[in-house]
Amino acid sequence: MMDQHEDPKFEKWLKNAAQSYHAPRTTPREELWARIAAERQRKHVIEIRPWMRWAVAAAAVLILGIGIGRWTAKQSNGTAVASNDSAPSAAPGTQVAREIDSLAGVAYQVAATQYLSRTEAFLTSFRADANRSANTARLARQARELLTTTQLMLDSPAASNPRVRSLLEDLELVLMQIALLNPLQDGRDRDLITEGMNQSNVLPKLRSAIPAGPVSARNQGAL
Amino acid sequence: MDESQLIARVRAGDSAAERALYDAHVDRVYRLAFRLAGDDALAQDFTQETFIRAFDRLGSFRGDAAFSTWLHTITTTVVLNGLRKVKRFRQREADIDDAHEIGVTQRHAEPDLKARLKQAIDELPEGYRTVFVMHDVEGYTHEEIGAALGVETGTSKAQLSRARAKLRVALSDFAGEWTT
Repeated sequence: MMDQHEDPKFEKWLKNAAQSYHAPRTTPREELWARIAAERQRKHVIEIRPWMRWAVAAAAVLILGIGIGRWTAKQSNGTAVASNDSAPSAAPGTQVAREIDSLAGVAYQVAATQYLSRTEAFLTSFRADANRSANTARLARQARELLTTTQLMLDSPAASNPRVRSLLEDLELVLMQIALLNPLQDGRDRDLITEGMNQSNVLPKLRSAIPAGPVSARNQGAL
Repeated sequence: MDESQLIARVRAGDSAAERALYDAHVDRVYRLAFRLAGDDALAQDFTQETFIRAFDRLGSFRGDAAFSTWLHTITTTVVLNGLRKVKRFRQREADIDDAHEIGVTQRHAEPDLKARLKQAIDELPEGYRTVFVMHDVEGYTHEEIGAALGVETGTSKAQLSRARAKLRVALSDFAGEWTT
């Protein structure tokens, strides 16, 4: 039985007329394939980053270890000669180790403070940026750079502190979202990122982790 | 080589097989994306995203349904979600434009059949429009539409029927076109 709404004549006419609706052009096969290949290549680079992080961290530890070994060996030789003339006031190996720890600690804190200050400036600028899509590509590039540092920080001993780890994880999420912004369709995404930042209080947390004073002087207390 | 062999080769990392699988399906994916989006740049974005997702998730394709069905499920998800984003963005832009154009009156010429048909299809609810475009414009079967949209075949048929009824009312001025 024919449905009361059915009208074969109308349906035939409609199907024919509707062929003009959003009539597609010839598929740009090569252009699309090139875009797909490029995007997959880019994603592949991002996906291997965790492996690269471990490799970079391992290489840094190895280089540091070799450096410390060479330095302490030289110092020990020098001290051994000197010890023939006079008795040392403290165990030389322990003293050198303390100095290395102190130097490494200061260097690390300076780097960490600089990173936190840059991230804070970047996120503040992102949130306040009224000139939307025009800057998306630049923001995404800066976010990727900061994201790499954040991920290295997450693999560093600093991340063993739960408060610091929580902050770094929040930053990683925000930066990753900004890094993946599409310049053509970012209006709603930007709002979502800003809402997320507000809900997680990431900027106040970040600011409280940065010591007061100019960056060069903020080498105490960072992280 | 049949499609299951091709898929197995893609899973094994054969880039030539990837390209062959892409070549076999890209026209239909792009056409559907274009028909639903009505914009070449968006259609290209959606097609790109569809294939990237498909290649990334090929490991989860179990072969219970045809590969084309699985691929069109991804296509409709990508396109419909993408269009919702675009619609929200354009609505916000339109609100801003409207605020600037208060008090300005515009006269529009009487649209011709093609323009009226386009407007009528655009104004269909999303579900009706999607089924109508897939079935009446691109020739998908109700089984394919049901699988792609995750609805029963009966739902697809019902939505098509309602879409046609709405279009018939919207185009009643042109009734002479199909009654003669």
